[in-house]
Amino acid sequence: MSDSVINVSELTRRFGAKTALASVSLSLSRGGVYGLVGLNGAGKTTFIRHVLGLLRAESGSVRVFGKDPVADPVAVLSRIGYLSEENDLPGWMRVDELIRYSRSFYPAWDDAYAEELRQTFALDPTAKIKTLSKGQKARAGLLIALSYRPELLVLDEPSSGLDPIVRKDILGAVIRTIADEGRTVLFSSHLLDEVEQVADHVTMIHQGRIVLSAPLSEIRESHRVEGRVLSLDEIFVARVGAAAGSVPEA
Amino acid sequence: MRSPALAFAWEFGQKLRLGLIALAIYALGVVMTMLFRIKMGWPVSLGHDEDMAALVAVPVATTFLYFLGVFTFGFASDLTARESTYPARMFALPVSTRALTGWPMLYGTAAMMALLLLSTSFVRWETKGILGRFVLEPWGFDVPALWPALLAAVFLAWTQALTWMPYGLRGLRVIVAVLWLGTLDVIVFLAIHYEIPEHFMVAFLAPQLPLAYLAARFAVARARRGEVPDWRGMFARFGSSAGVLRRRDPFPSPKRAQVWFEWRLHGWSLPALVALVLPFELGLLFLARDEPPAMTFYTLLAVLLTPPLMAGFVAAMVSKSNPSARDSYGLPPFTATRPLTSAALIAAKLKVTVWSTLAAWLLVLVVTPLALALSDTLPVVIAKVNEGIETFGSARIVVTMLLSLVALMASTWKRLVHSLFLDLSGREWLIKSSVLLALSVLVIIWPLGAWIHDDDNVQAALLDALPLALAVLVCVKICAAFWIATRLYDGRLVSDRTLVSGAFCWLVAVLALYGLLVWFWSTPHVARYFLLLIAILEIPLARLSAAPLALAWNRHR
Repeated sequence: MSDSVINVSELTRRFGAKTALASVSLSLSRGGVYGLVGLNGAGKTTFIRHVLGLLRAESGSVRVFGKDPVADPVAVLSRIGYLSEENDLPGWMRVDELIRYSRSFYPAWDDAYAEELRQTFALDPTAKIKTLSKGQKARAGLLIALSYRPELLVLDEPSSGLDPIVRKDILGAVIRTIADEGRTVLFSSHLLDEVEQVADHVTMIHQGRIVLSAPLSEIRESHRVEGRVLSLDEIFVARVGAAAGSVPEA
Repeated sequence: MRSPALAFAWEFGQKLRLGLIALAIYALGVVMTMLFRIKMGWPVSLGHDEDMAALVAVPVATTFLYFLGVFTFGFASDLTARESTYPARMFALPVSTRALTGWPMLYGTAAMMALLLLSTSFVRWETKGILGRFVLEPWGFDVPALWPALLAAVFLAWTQALTWMPYGLRGLRVIVAVLWLGTLDVIVFLAIHYEIPEHFMVAFLAPQLPLAYLAARFAVARARRGEVPDWRGMFARFGSSAGVLRRRDPFPSPKRAQVWFEWRLHGWSLPALVALVLPFELGLLFLARDEPPAMTFYTLLAVLLTPPLMAGFVAAMVSKSNPSARDSYGLPPFTATRPLTSAALIAAKLKVTVWSTLAAWLLVLVVTPLALALSDTLPVVIAKVNEGIETFGSARIVVTMLLSLVALMASTWKRLVHSLFLDLSGREWLIKSSVLLALSVLVIIWPLGAWIHDDDNVQAALLDALPLALAVLVCVKICAAFWIATRLYDGRLVSDRTLVSGAFCWLVAVLALYGLLVWFWSTPHVARYFLLLIAILEIPLARLSAAPLALAWNRHR
């Protein structure tokens, strides 16, 4: 059995005249935390949507668990937990209905763990999703993404919806637990300090191209100035530099 | 844009743009057809009620509903919510509550009155022979000049006030609006029935505009302050009892869960719409008891056509699968990432449309006999049925009635699913183009129908060409179905077994319908092959089987 969870090769995607991804190749091994960083519009979400099979590869190939997510969505999606940046949970559902509905799709759903997460996230089971705050909605999304202990957890800009407490403590703890259990996490973010805290491996993407992809420890080792290890945002600026025009939040 | 008035006008202008363009195209089409007929020396006869209904009532009613949606901000809001449907983003504008309320009401009143004044002027038009030697026979209907326009404005104003009001309970808005506006309708029906003079109607309706404005201003002021009454506590005990009854056991399979999801999302829409319309239609039976029997049968016909008609609206409503998202026509990621095949997602939708159709018809079949009995119009219907039994025999009448019912139910379901392949494609350009095409067809259908109706030669030519036209359509349908089946097979979207069993079921349905048609029209004047062509065209195949293809196209872009 291959150790590669995601294998993307020469993936190119265009939206009209704009090239969202240009010959991107990336391989993610089992059991790591992979941070995908870049400015807004860099191509992070487009990459993730290819992994989920929501976009069809125009050229190149995408394999998740060795399968094409477009050709075999059931086999791929049943092993992935996904928290969307859009957080489009159905507003008309109540929290308990969301749990009851979601659990039916995943044989490995763990009721005890789901209840533990619900209590940790302080979610009222009778509350309608649309009455929840943005942060609470993100917690509900995280709950249903985690409760079946997916082999691959994909988080698309999770921090943008979460309040600082969840962001710093819970999300970080959850991500580390998953990695320690030998599962894989891919998360995109423009908050570089958070990526720096939890990621084992960082991929920087800019204007649809990967500008740097390596283990975080290697990146730190190779980016020293006068003996001082540069922070991830300094490295990002150095790599993307003036072309970016702005720097992600630190 | 330097004033709030202009900003409001611009916003409504943007929202009305497409509808007004469609209306202008329609009017232009009608005028061009008339001029063409006049130029060709053909008479233009507009003296029938049916012409008026087709030419004026349908576009006016559609535009009326469109205006209601636009000026109440109803298209983008949840009517059942407790909160006001007035857009919250506008509460932060640096304008007074008076302006927030007044401008939409003023523009709405002006638009409604203009629409109805133009329409009533059109049907009252009495000029003859205006174009030289060609005789133009106008309608010259004697309809009131002012109060229909005033009624439309009042109806809109109250709808604005009632929808912008925050309520203490979810769904209360719909109940209050239906009761209030229904009462207004009943008063108008009675006024028509008793031929109340116009000045009385104006005196009754005109003061309601300022009253509705005051109510709307109160509603918007409350909503702006964030005041939403909460009466849910009053029902807490009942709610907790209901919670015990609510099912909490897990779904037996992902497919059942998806059916539940689809039912909660769209399934109740058709029964709810039918339930809203039915009381008003059946209310007419109480007025019809003193009228000739034809009135009862027209009312019953309207009742029986309600589910198929409402199904058309429901099908249009579901095309936006994700209204709040940037790509509102695209499949929401929440649904797209369900570990289910596209065929399973479609199967859940189809199951729900079947349940939805059955629920709507159950409602009609339970409530209509009750209304007939309570309104004392049941004997009229029984007499008519007995008359039919004496003429054609009881078996034929019973079977005809049952088949008509099945046909109406099938038609309701077909209307729910026939545009799925477009709606699920997720492509805004495709969905909007299909709407434009449908509007264009509506534009030409009346003049085309009138042309065919008036010209015997055209009718004869069409009758001659009908079998060939049907044969061509059948060829197109079969070719499309074959292409779709090939794509479904290549893309592994459905299993081989599903493809084969689907084709078999379709064949059985076609043969069954053909058998029925042969039994029903056992006459030498209608060729058997003609009935077979109709049966092939009537049973859905290509568009229905294209739905998984469209969903996969949407899901994996």
